[in-house]
Amino acid sequence: MAKITENTRNEVREAVIAFFAEECETDTSQIHDHTNIIRDLDGDSLMFLELIEIFKKKYNLDIELKTIGKYAVKHPVQTIGQLIEMQLLVIEHENRLLELDK
Amino acid sequence: MADRIVISGMGIVSSLGYELDSFWKNLADGKSGVKKISLFDASSLATRIAAEVPRDFEEYSRTYVKKRAAGQMTRVTRMCMVAAKQAVADSGLDFGKEDKTRCAVVMGVVNTGNSSIEQDTSPQNTVFKSMTNSMPAWVSLEYQLLGPSMAINTACASSAYAIATGMQMIQNGMADIVIAGGADSIINPEEISGFNALYALSVANEPPEAACRPFTASRDGFVIGEGAGVVILESEKHALDRNAALYCELAGYGLTSEGYNIMAPMKDGEGMAATMVKALQNAGVGTHEVDYINAHGTSTELNDRYETMAIKKVFGERAYDIPVTSSKSMIGHTIGAAGAIEAIITILSIKNKTLTPTINYTDPDPDLDLDYVPNKSRPMDIHIALSNSFGFGGHNATLVFRKYPEI
Repeated sequence: MAKITENTRNEVREAVIAFFAEECETDTSQIHDHTNIIRDLDGDSLMFLELIEIFKKKYNLDIELKTIGKYAVKHPVQTIGQLIEMQLLVIEHENRLLELDK
Repeated sequence: MADRIVISGMGIVSSLGYELDSFWKNLADGKSGVKKISLFDASSLATRIAAEVPRDFEEYSRTYVKKRAAGQMTRVTRMCMVAAKQAVADSGLDFGKEDKTRCAVVMGVVNTGNSSIEQDTSPQNTVFKSMTNSMPAWVSLEYQLLGPSMAINTACASSAYAIATGMQMIQNGMADIVIAGGADSIINPEEISGFNALYALSVANEPPEAACRPFTASRDGFVIGEGAGVVILESEKHALDRNAALYCELAGYGLTSEGYNIMAPMKDGEGMAATMVKALQNAGVGTHEVDYINAHGTSTELNDRYETMAIKKVFGERAYDIPVTSSKSMIGHTIGAAGAIEAIITILSIKNKTLTPTINYTDPDPDLDLDYVPNKSRPMDIHIALSNSFGFGGHNATLVFRKYPEI
């Protein structure tokens, strides 16, 4: 289990916002915690998977996609803020993510 | 009496332009889009020429397709999107005011162009780029349309079939509006090698612009083109209710299968003739009424011979009075897009009262003796026109267009 520092939190936030700004051709200043990924950014579900891959490599995570899928079914992500929190949980708990629901 | 089906918008991407006006001017001027292949190194191939969409299309397409979606599309699918969005804009449609459950999309798709020359494909995007339903899917997504959305593959007749199917949908009461057409490119090493092995392609590489020579004695095969063509079909009532400007009426169609050979057309053009007869019957048009035929006209030995024989079978002595043109002499054979692109040329010919030429017609084949509108465009007030599309596997389609209004 990784400890989430303020530095990690900032890194994840910046990476997520930069990713959406690049892919959705939007200025980073237009992306906030409450920004809706589908409605406001015209994003898609595949972007979530691409971000998972980015963070898996960056933090050398031991996490299976199906684990994230099962968690996301119970905790749907709609906004940038929710997505950042989900990514932080993935980094922190990796394959033990589902234990949070027990 | 059944409601008429009209054309209210069109969009084009081709080797001779991305906008209707410039495309038409180039055609009327008899220009050729055929050049040396630049999309990849073709130096080892027997055929090294094609009618490519200009390289600045990528920059042009960015105003139509967002970066994220563009990365999930092939270059060919982007051509389809540009043509579809042009057609919608041209029609003046505002889908916010339409019942989206009654708006359909039908695209002729032979393949999506996800070949070895397609670039920047991530593992995630491989599937999206290969899906043969991707073109109609993206168009439906773009406007959040909720009616039927599908792809049709009947080889070189695909997008003519798409337009005919769109007409059926409106006539059957399934839709009020259909976005119909197609896009294609087989300009890649695999397809060119394959067609070379079938001796189907021209190998007259120098000069490129003279290679496609429909109905001449020196024709030696078709020249590959690429592009997209999309039309907006509507019931006449629907179009008039919204005060749409109309190009013409789609009066009918003929669809047949030859059941004969996977590659060669049926002997003496019997299947082609049967298709034109069906189309005329479907449109309620007599042979004496047809003013112009936009031929399939591939510049292959068999097609041009049999298509000429078929026209004579259907029209008898009148065949000699009907101008027959091959648009492929200028833009090459755009395969799955050919039916729609050539339908658009036919419609523009009606609208602009001008026949576009069959270029490179320098040495007539003595056996092929119709009026092929050699080398120069010609003014003509066209009331009824046919557009022929004949595909490998014996898939045939003829579309019938009528001037609108009929005055």
